[in-house]
Amino acid sequence: MNSDAAKEVLSAYRSEDRDGADPIFREALSQLENDAELKKWFEEETNLDRSVRQKLAGIEPPADLQAKILARIRGEKVRRSVFALPPAWLAVAACLVLGGLALFYSTNRGGSDRFQEFKTDALAMVSVQGGPQLDLETPDLNETQTFLREHKAPYYEALPSRLKSMETAGCRAFVWKDYPASLTCFLLPDGQFLHLVVINKAALDNADIPAGMKAMGDWHVMFQQKNGMLLMWASQAPMDQLKQLFVVSTGGVRGIANAQEKPSQHARTVSDEAVFSIEQ
Amino acid sequence: MRADLDLETIVSELYSPLYRFAFALTRNETQAADLTQETFLILTRQQAQVRDVTKIKSWLFTTLRREFLRGLRSQSSHPEVELKPEHQDQLVSDSAVSQAIDAGTVLEVLAKIEESYRMVLELFYLADLSYKEIAVTLDIPIGTVMSRLSRGKEQLRTLLAKTEPPTKTFPHPR
Repeated sequence: MNSDAAKEVLSAYRSEDRDGADPIFREALSQLENDAELKKWFEEETNLDRSVRQKLAGIEPPADLQAKILARIRGEKVRRSVFALPPAWLAVAACLVLGGLALFYSTNRGGSDRFQEFKTDALAMVSVQGGPQLDLETPDLNETQTFLREHKAPYYEALPSRLKSMETAGCRAFVWKDYPASLTCFLLPDGQFLHLVVINKAALDNADIPAGMKAMGDWHVMFQQKNGMLLMWASQAPMDQLKQLFVVSTGGVRGIANAQEKPSQHARTVSDEAVFSIEQ
Repeated sequence: MRADLDLETIVSELYSPLYRFAFALTRNETQAADLTQETFLILTRQQAQVRDVTKIKSWLFTTLRREFLRGLRSQSSHPEVELKPEHQDQLVSDSAVSQAIDAGTVLEVLAKIEESYRMVLELFYLADLSYKEIAVTLDIPIGTVMSRLSRGKEQLRTLLAKTEPPTKTFPHPR
């Protein structure tokens, strides 16, 4: 290897710890001992590399970029893990969900048909293969609320503090029986979703809403009434994990936006129910 | 059989160099962050296709570069966009260059270097790829990587010498 060839090889050299074991570099480096001009060139080359790398290291990624990437990856993995289930398992899962729905429906005839219908439709929406369809995918809760506000969909602001600090998978604005409604999907630490469906209670013929958390097949579901709105929470996460999210909530209601878009004007003075109690 | 990828570790180790590479391509913080996120999302979706875990780094940089070029093509009314320095200048937005001045200066200088050399230099400096990884990423022979690195550094040294004060120049004894 002559001097020019050694220079070309050493142009690709990074450091001893990364490239020192590579035979092609070992051979070129060995020539430094006997070639003063080559050695001087290599020192200058190393200085250039060090200086350029130091300057480019000034390009810092946004502080929240890693968290955003991980949130999107977790959301994608959850969707794919459901979607990737073999057909036989999907059939079993579907039977479990439908069986749970039927059981729940048969034991809760007190509510109106309208409420039962909403409950069934909402759970069907969130339990769809691959996760529910979202209009906006974002880990930022504020972005989901802005999106829902802009699309005149109801949403709930006074969330439990632990949920406020949690990342979301995104949200969806939709219409159920001519009433605007919304879905917000929270990403729990273990990668599972917690879904929140919000709709004007008038859409349900003001039916009596059962309190506490219920099991519906593989799902845990809880309803809340807030300022004329119905909040439906649904998740496949363990009951204990969900309890941790809700039992600490004691804050007052700060407001529900877009609460009475259609068709009736519901007063915002409707008092809250003691909705954070948990039933097993 | 290929072991499952530890995506979180891969993100932790590589999101910074990927972002820097994306920033060098886009000169825009938001676009660079989006491009970085999209690249990892593609890895999540296509991880079954990544047969050699040791080449994951090259795969990520190749994918990011491909996504950048795809985005450029979709933005342009022309089907093919050649990445010349003039075009790079058009991508610089007023709000984008909020990075350290030194980094910005180096990026400006890099943008003036001939495309074939610049890509190799960016992968070498920003992505910290080895010559073998650069060869895989750009799909060119190892010898070509070395000669482009050598000539690219020569151009870089010359341009930096014109940019920086005399005390900070990098004389080339060759």
